[in-house]
Amino acid sequence: MATSLDQENRPLAHDSDPTQTIVETRNLGKVYRDFWGRKKVQALKSLDLEVRRGEIFGLLGPNGSGKSTTIKLMLGLLFPTQGRVFVFGKEATDVSKNERIGYLPEESYLYKFLNAEETLDFYGRLFDIPADVRRQRIESLIKMVKLEHARRRQLKEYSKGMTRRIGLAQALINEPEFLVLDEPTTGLDPLGTRDMKDLILRLRDEGKTILMCSHQLADVQDVCDRVAILHQGELKELGRVDSLLKIQDLTEIHASGLTDEAKNQIREIIEKSGGKLDRMDNPTTTMEDLFLEIVKESEQRPGRRGGRGGN
Amino acid sequence: MRLNPDHFWTYSEWLFEKNALRDGAILSVTLALLGFIIGYIVSVFKYGPSEGFLRVSQIIGQLFTVDLPKLSFRRIYAMAKLAVKESIRKKILVLIGIFIVAMMFAGWYLDPDADSPARLYLVFVLTATNYLVILLGLFISCFSIPADIKSRTIYTITTKPVRPLELFLGRVLGFTAIGTLVLATMGLLSYVFVVRGLDHNHELVSMDPTEKSGESSYNNRHRHTFTLNSEGRGTTNEVKGHRHIVTKVGDKVVIGSPIDDLTARIPIYAKSLEFTGRDGEKNEGYNVGYMSEYQKYIEGDSLSRAVWRFEGVQPTLFRDVILYDLTISAFRTYKGDIVTPVGGLIHFRSTDGKVKSEDEPFKVKEFQVDRRSVRTKLKGFKQDATGKDIATDLDFFQDIAPNGSFEVVVRCQDRGQYLGMAAADIYLRPADLQFWWNFVKGYISIWLQMFIVICFGVMFSTFLSGPVAIIATVAALVLGFFGFFVDNLVTTTSKGGGPIESLIRLPTQMGSQIEMELGNETLQNAIASADRGILLAVSQLKNAVPNFSQLDTSNFVAYGYNLFGGLLARHLTIAFGYFVLTALVSYFFLKTREMAA
Repeated sequence: MATSLDQENRPLAHDSDPTQTIVETRNLGKVYRDFWGRKKVQALKSLDLEVRRGEIFGLLGPNGSGKSTTIKLMLGLLFPTQGRVFVFGKEATDVSKNERIGYLPEESYLYKFLNAEETLDFYGRLFDIPADVRRQRIESLIKMVKLEHARRRQLKEYSKGMTRRIGLAQALINEPEFLVLDEPTTGLDPLGTRDMKDLILRLRDEGKTILMCSHQLADVQDVCDRVAILHQGELKELGRVDSLLKIQDLTEIHASGLTDEAKNQIREIIEKSGGKLDRMDNPTTTMEDLFLEIVKESEQRPGRRGGRGGN
Repeated sequence: MRLNPDHFWTYSEWLFEKNALRDGAILSVTLALLGFIIGYIVSVFKYGPSEGFLRVSQIIGQLFTVDLPKLSFRRIYAMAKLAVKESIRKKILVLIGIFIVAMMFAGWYLDPDADSPARLYLVFVLTATNYLVILLGLFISCFSIPADIKSRTIYTITTKPVRPLELFLGRVLGFTAIGTLVLATMGLLSYVFVVRGLDHNHELVSMDPTEKSGESSYNNRHRHTFTLNSEGRGTTNEVKGHRHIVTKVGDKVVIGSPIDDLTARIPIYAKSLEFTGRDGEKNEGYNVGYMSEYQKYIEGDSLSRAVWRFEGVQPTLFRDVILYDLTISAFRTYKGDIVTPVGGLIHFRSTDGKVKSEDEPFKVKEFQVDRRSVRTKLKGFKQDATGKDIATDLDFFQDIAPNGSFEVVVRCQDRGQYLGMAAADIYLRPADLQFWWNFVKGYISIWLQMFIVICFGVMFSTFLSGPVAIIATVAALVLGFFGFFVDNLVTTTSKGGGPIESLIRLPTQMGSQIEMELGNETLQNAIASADRGILLAVSQLKNAVPNFSQLDTSNFVAYGYNLFGGLLARHLTIAFGYFVLTALVSYFFLKTREMAA
């Protein structure tokens, strides 16, 4: 059996195809300790996952499940107490990886005394972007997040939704390849949520890789290609959203153009009725149902569930 | 104001001969080793011995391979600009308002009867500015990074390609910029306050019948008398540290604005001071006990002399008159006529003693600078072949100081009384520096102190919370201000022992004059050893913080001395040294700190 150390030191997944893996965690764990070094809480246990180029990866879990810890470990804001995490093949503590990352923190921790333009200019300078390019990007980003009318107002006067939008704009100032979005739709109204989701999908279509964590399960279901579900610091489920939501032992038929008679005899005649079978598939549950089921099960039986999501 | 011998060290003398470079290097190496050892111990607990060593080495290696070479001025500038905006948002500029209010009321409290109003005004503005900007530096620097961590805005900074050193440099640069703005404004206001506060005019009150001398009106609690030369020009006598130029235009006598109150003398000091005793033999000068340890004394009406030797004085610096200042104190062994000051005689002579000027009598001006002059064409004596003094006319630079070297001889006239002097108590004044430039130099000194405080504040804030960082910085400041006290504790056997011994003496009411008797020699030895250890540690700690009392040069400006370029250069070097040191410590802490923990 491979030891955890062997796992940490095995070749990188991207070694075979370096362009395909953006983030890789190996046996990643984090223990929070108090001032005297005593263990307070194990926030994350032996997490192994990959985020692949071009996908939207969702990180789900109830409060305290280890989502934020995982993101902070990936960004180098925390140091692992066990295992390793690589971003673009570099250790997460390597500052140079940040040049290709955009990060929207949970509550848009921005400087409230700056206005939108100053905020973007400040973060643009942190990426060492030359003045003319910076000006150009500030213009297009302000337009993109629809803040033209409020560009000269200090952020302390912004509504929650506006703050999220300027937060997203600062995350995009360096035209990142990899975007980390912490609760991107929190505080947005339905219209704003729709816009944000469309934007995330558009960014994916432009070739960016996106990691998002969210409590808004419907949002995750709508936009994510793959998800990982964490609970109590453990990975409970990992896979493609469409596979995960598929209920294997049920069959659902959508049919049209059938006569009433045919409908009555559907079980026997479905193959010989001559009607047009529109769709024959497994029905799906909602992300919300799946999530609640996992949490309930996990509380009863700790440990990783039997996977079914197809990595 | 007293100039110490160390004030006269040249920059290179200080750096190399007085071991400033060596001490700085020792401090850096000690801190680096200490940092490495502590870092390694912490890493061993976290990652084990080999991995721990690797990680600590990586941090040090990355400083030179990545973090230093990839420093970006654009990022540093962005963060400096942010720090400035943040400070303005915190209404730091209100401080200027407070300063203006303080100056508005200062006029009420500054004693109008003071002997030297200029000094009083200058000490007030310089001290007020110094304390205000040091407090400013303390508060803006200690709270910034902890506030960013608390509000989590630091997440959006450290997830950008920002290097730890850029975080430090940005803050230091920004806060220094805002501090400079405040300091420059205060400096300008102070200059106007001092110049306008001291400016006054006198009217002519009376003239003697010969129209050669007269008296001015009583303004600003003083009046002057004056004498005019044949061309109708002259100066008043010196009262309250200033004089006025008096000119006669037609029938009218005009008394001008005050002069000599705001000066920046560029003194030429003697290379050495030697004494002879009452028998004419060389000695160290008489010690009159606790009266003054700074000055040594000569005895009146005896062969006792004080001889200053000047070298390399350029004749081109002087025209017809050599101006010199004398600060001599008297020690009376009997009261005598208390109204009449103790008298002395002064003359100039060549280094071989064969040519000398006539003795000129003077009266001691206690606690004042006696501004004197000697003409370059003067009367004196030359020894002939038989060694006899022949009275003759002399040229100072041809006969007395042909190669720029000469001696000044002072003796005391009054029997049984003593005159005290030190090497710096006489100096030539070839020309004065523009006062405003000396004033600026004084403010540069204050700026350097503020800069060091900011560096320390930002450094402590990289690993401590705001209030704790303030306490740590204040502790460093206090240790710096009272460095000499710590030195005394360590180097001299101060009475009452070290901290542990003092703790025992206090409750047991054991006076410091008696030996500590605990009845157990081993215990006593242990206490003495522990005390030595503590004192040594404190003294080392003291060396790690700048000596602020030395960096304070406000007295140079207040007392009207040119602040030596060498001294300022030394202070600049010290500030730069501490900047590098605090940058490295900050780098280490920022690099190893989990920002989201």
